[in-house]
Amino acid sequence: MGQLFSFLYKYRAFFTFLTLELLCIWMIVRNNNYQRAAYFSAASGFVGNVNERTNNISDYFSLKKVNSDLAEENAMLRTLLLRATETPIDSLKAFDIDTDTTDAIHYKLIAAEIVDNSIRLSHNFFKINKGSKDGIKPGMGVISQKGVVGKIRTVTKNYSSGISLLNSRNQVSAKLKNSNRTATIQWDGDGRNPRIAKLLYITREDDVNVGDTVVTSSFNAVYPKDIMIGTVASVKPDQNQRDLEIEVALSVDFGTLAYVYVIENIYKNEEDSVSINNPIDFNE
Amino acid sequence: MSRNLIILTFTAIVLMLFQVLILKYFVLFGVGFCFLYLMFLLFLPLEIGFASAMVIGLIAGLIVDLFYNTLGIHAFACVLIMFLRPYWMKWSKPRSGYEVNDLPMITNYGLGWFVIYALPLIFIHTLTVFLIESGGNQLMGLSILKSIVTTLISLVFMIAIQYLFYSKAKR
Repeated sequence: MGQLFSFLYKYRAFFTFLTLELLCIWMIVRNNNYQRAAYFSAASGFVGNVNERTNNISDYFSLKKVNSDLAEENAMLRTLLLRATETPIDSLKAFDIDTDTTDAIHYKLIAAEIVDNSIRLSHNFFKINKGSKDGIKPGMGVISQKGVVGKIRTVTKNYSSGISLLNSRNQVSAKLKNSNRTATIQWDGDGRNPRIAKLLYITREDDVNVGDTVVTSSFNAVYPKDIMIGTVASVKPDQNQRDLEIEVALSVDFGTLAYVYVIENIYKNEEDSVSINNPIDFNE
Repeated sequence: MSRNLIILTFTAIVLMLFQVLILKYFVLFGVGFCFLYLMFLLFLPLEIGFASAMVIGLIAGLIVDLFYNTLGIHAFACVLIMFLRPYWMKWSKPRSGYEVNDLPMITNYGLGWFVIYALPLIFIHTLTVFLIESGGNQLMGLSILKSIVTTLISLVFMIAIQYLFYSKAKR
């Protein structure tokens, strides 16, 4: 101990210097937007690289589960395919015709792999191995085959980091599938339960039952409508006797999340610019 | 000593005000800025000690940062040069050595010594500021150009001001 102190004392000038510089760096990163962006993009590029390497190894251990998930999804897609192409009209077989304009396409999916994911914090984030190189932009929605996962926040060349649904600052516009009542899904960061989220702003008059399906609404340009979020797990009136306090069991198991799809909404700019060009205090 | 203290305090206040009120808007061809407030940091005597010199540098940098809206960047560079300064002072010692009561300025040690003493420190400071400001190495060339021009302008200002306002101390 004495040696440690004498060492610290001998190089006290250097340690003072180090402390003050760290203080400065902290202030720079904290207060300057541009420098913060540069810092985080450098840091997340590096961290993403490390995480992908470790993930490459740990992937082997979950191959079996991933395989079965993919097989399941294949089966589901096959059924969808069968249902979509054959529409029997007047006992004739009619087929959908793909138009040769791009008007028919509204959403594009980009498959990606999760390289880092947290579920135990009150603000959780995940990281995927696709970046601006693959056409990912901040603000795109992320889903898995089971349901909504989150939203992309920062993008570097090869990686992107997203805000998970398990983040108390990430609200998602949702609706009850039965009654079409729109509401908001928000994860309760204090509960720290990665399988349960809260459904807010449903008033007491509404008839909500345990087991009802909650899906995304069409009130946003991030997710397509009717993407699964979860099922109602419990319903009770809240303390103020105004709204219902509804807990939703999330359909996505964030603990085992491995492969996701990033949604590119081709009309996102258009949708957003319509809202921007229509301000609230526009009176004419 | 008290005379030195008065000189330093007065220099600090005037230079800080001059820097944040007037020199902030002084830009030559988009590349030449003027960080005149460094002169006060360079004037600090060698005996002041590592820690207090760095803390003074930190405070001066933070005040400038507040007005430049770059919280932390100038402070970082100032602490850096205040850390390097004693080593550099020892290395660039004038032939007769340092006198205890003399501030490191032109009137005491001469123009040639002051340029050798100040030029690298100002350059390190400006280079640090512009590199952090550009947030990486994409604008390396521009940052170096900016810091060279800024260093020269700051140095010229410092020399001119010392010849104009600082008379030789009576022995």
